[in-house]
Amino acid sequence: MEASALRRSAALVARASTRNAIRPAVCAAISNSSTSSTPPTQLQTQQTRQFSALNRPPPNYPGHVPLTRLERLGLFVGSGLISLADPRRGDLIASFAEATATPYFIYRLRDAMLSHPTGRRILRLRPRITSQSLNIPYLRSLPPNTVGRTYIDWLDREGVSPDTRSAVRYIDDEECAYVMQRYRECHDFYHALTGLPIVREGEVALKAFEFANTLLPMTGFSVFAAFTMKKSEQKRFREIYFPWAVKNGLRAKEVINVFWEEELERDVDDLRRELGVEPPPDLREIRKREREEKRRRKEMERMMSGRSGGPEDDVLQKAEKEAEVVAERVKEMKDEVVEKVGEVVGSSSMRV
Amino acid sequence: MEAVARRKAAAYVCRSCTRQFQRQLRRNYSNSAPRPDIYDVVCVGGGPAGLSLLTALRANPVTSHLRVALVEAQDLSKVKSWKLPPNKYSNRCSSLTPTSALFLDQIGAWEHLDQTRVQPYHEMQVWDGVTDARIEFDWAPGSAPVEGTTIAYMNENLNLTSGLLKRLEQLGGVSVFEGANVENITFGEEMEDLDLSQWPVVHISGGKQLTARLLVGADGANSPVRAFAGIDAKGWDYNRHGVVATLEMEGEGWGGEHTKIAYQRFLPTGPVAMLPMPGNVATLVWSTTPENASLLKSLSPKDFVAMVNAAFRLSTVDLAFMHTQGTDQDDEYSWRLQHTSFNPRAIPQTVVGVQEGTVASFPLKMRHADTYIGERVALVGDAAHTIHPLAGQGLNQGQGDVQSLVKTIEFAVTHGQDIGSIMSLESYVSERYTANHVLLGVVDKLHKLYSAGSGPLVPLRSLGLNAVNALGPLKSFFMKQAAGSGTKIF
Ligand SMILES: Cc1cc2nc3c(=O)[nH]c(=O)nc-3n(C[C@H](O)[C@H](O)[C@H](O)COP(=O)(O)OP(=O)(O)OC[C@H]3O[C@@H](n4cnc5c(N)ncnc54)[C@H](O)[C@@H]3O)c2cc1C
Repeated sequence: MEASALRRSAALVARASTRNAIRPAVCAAISNSSTSSTPPTQLQTQQTRQFSALNRPPPNYPGHVPLTRLERLGLFVGSGLISLADPRRGDLIASFAEATATPYFIYRLRDAMLSHPTGRRILRLRPRITSQSLNIPYLRSLPPNTVGRTYIDWLDREGVSPDTRSAVRYIDDEECAYVMQRYRECHDFYHALTGLPIVREGEVALKAFEFANTLLPMTGFSVFAAFTMKKSEQKRFREIYFPWAVKNGLRAKEVINVFWEEELERDVDDLRRELGVEPPPDLREIRKREREEKRRRKEMERMMSGRSGGPEDDVLQKAEKEAEVVAERVKEMKDEVVEKVGEVVGSSSMRV
Repeated sequence: MEAVARRKAAAYVCRSCTRQFQRQLRRNYSNSAPRPDIYDVVCVGGGPAGLSLLTALRANPVTSHLRVALVEAQDLSKVKSWKLPPNKYSNRCSSLTPTSALFLDQIGAWEHLDQTRVQPYHEMQVWDGVTDARIEFDWAPGSAPVEGTTIAYMNENLNLTSGLLKRLEQLGGVSVFEGANVENITFGEEMEDLDLSQWPVVHISGGKQLTARLLVGADGANSPVRAFAGIDAKGWDYNRHGVVATLEMEGEGWGGEHTKIAYQRFLPTGPVAMLPMPGNVATLVWSTTPENASLLKSLSPKDFVAMVNAAFRLSTVDLAFMHTQGTDQDDEYSWRLQHTSFNPRAIPQTVVGVQEGTVASFPLKMRHADTYIGERVALVGDAAHTIHPLAGQGLNQGQGDVQSLVKTIEFAVTHGQDIGSIMSLESYVSERYTANHVLLGVVDKLHKLYSAGSGPLVPLRSLGLNAVNALGPLKSFFMKQAAGSGTKIF
């Protein structure tokens, strides 16, 4: 009885916090830290030589941080550890994504773009997706079921903005850096296309889809977050969303080659058909239904036992309050740990 | 001494004997069949192989008495008088190894080639288009062979055939039937004093018939002589075409006038090679799919030049895409160049133009005849074997055949044997067959190895290339093989 109460109150805490602050780790990987960056447009001399931290070469594009091999390893281990410890450190998850995307996977994704006429056009024009570039009021004015309207409705429903992207810093090749940036900026379009919400469960399903489609390792690692989900969620993931993700991700054309800015007025189902993506069952609906179902069952149980209210309810309320306090404290402690680890990793990578 | 000479004379049909023989025939059959026109050697095909053979036979004092004839479908006077302005080059060029050049010199033909149009090269750069693994064939100090550092000579096929014709004219004594197609080959008739039923008779357009003691097929890959002899040629088509063109370069090459470099990059569709010609000129041999080849041929000069530059620089992904574009490759190339890193000194200089009318393509195949000889028949050059051009060995193999066949004929003449009998010809096959077979096999495997764009072979082949590159002695062994100056294994 008490254990379940504790779990329930923890869930309450979670819901009480603002939605945006709690964007699950995996989503934060591609959308965080509103540092706006200059687009990596200019080509500078490619950096392939080895160097030490003392004579760090000039960046290949604005915002680029050339790393030594050791630093790269440090980034990989450090960002990996902290992102596991704190799912909200999206900036670090983004770094982790960059550390694992090189040297192979980001090139694969770039080559997928280079093999496709639209992909090539995107690479040539290097469009950026921001709230400015998109003209939000115009999107809201589009008829329902257009790509643009579906996207903005999804943003509104989830309460997120397109302007929350980390700038790419650790990918040496400036063209690949743009590919990473583009991938991040398109992520919310994939949400809109599939209708998957940003709750952990939806995010994991989308990541599985992206992994099957892009083969970016970070998306694959993120699927491990499935093990941190609730039992019932895990079951749902196993039975519905994982098979959906694999089937659709492999079958669909490379979604990185969609010029979203040019598809805004198109019928979203038409685009889904062209890409070969069928939207999965609406996760928010399922969750809502299940919650209602649960509540109804509880109500039924109470009616069956023929009581409404009583001393036991008081005990429950008290336990919930206590659990809330405990959860708060746990969170604080975790933040402290994360900060410490961050300092250690940061200073050690400085020393390398 | 006189006895030897007489014995020799009996072994082959010298001119006087033939005359006597024909007189006999006239006497016996004056009213029936036309008297057979008998030659010791009838060579069908006046390409590099056929012309070298006749030149070698005429230049050799032992074989120079033989009665020889040449049958060639093309007009040879055009070939002989072939001339191009100094800045224009034919698109059909071949590399001649020092061994081939030496042979041509021995038969007195080399000096008849226009030497201002022959370009020796001294280094090779070969690399893998997928992994960038590279092997540099440059002579390390001390490793250069005493014969010189020339790996091979680039030369227009027409410069060679024209030079050979000039030398043949100087030597004289060849009955030339040019502009004459071989229409049929049959066997001769059995006569009272001479059984010609095993002797091939070549029927050429215009009704002329030539009877041959030895019929040599130097008639190229679709050899009518091979078909007549019932010799099967096994092999396969590569489903590839060799695109050739004469290119104008931005300069004389990174090594300047005196150190010319040949380049070859292995792409998944096949190797692309750029070989130096004199001055700012280079010749292209690009093996690729028939579809790509027909696209390349359809492009404007500007886009074609962009594709050639791209072939040595851009990623295979970019190249594959640019082959799907009908036009605008030039624009695409300038964009991709900004995003591609390479060492400009390790690849050919930039192509700035293509000589008009020189873009052409040929289907590539690998064929090897089951044998090179039959009763009174021998095959040389492409009639005996067709090889993938990636190692630039086709024409050189033909020169090797000719050298060996002439030696065989010389031996037969000296030892009083019938030059057309299988027994006499045996040593020619045994000397050439295995050598050619090994080379054909190696080049075929190389083509297959490098046709893989991905898979387990790709890292392995790079490892191999890098390893050879790192091992000095092994490398100079390969270079000497390529130059034909090393121990003969090919
Ligand atoms: C794209 C390409 C690039 C190449 N690059 C090189 C290279 O770099 N180095 C190299 O060594 N080799 C190279 N080769 C190969 C080389 O060109 C040939 O091996 C060589 O030309 C063969 O010479 P050949 O005399 O045996 O035959 P051919 O040159 O084919 O001559 C055959 C002759 O026989 C005549 N003929 C045929 N049929 C008849 C008939 N029925 N009646 C009368 N006459 C007939 C033809 O007119 C022709 O003149 C290349 C080949 C290709 C396709």
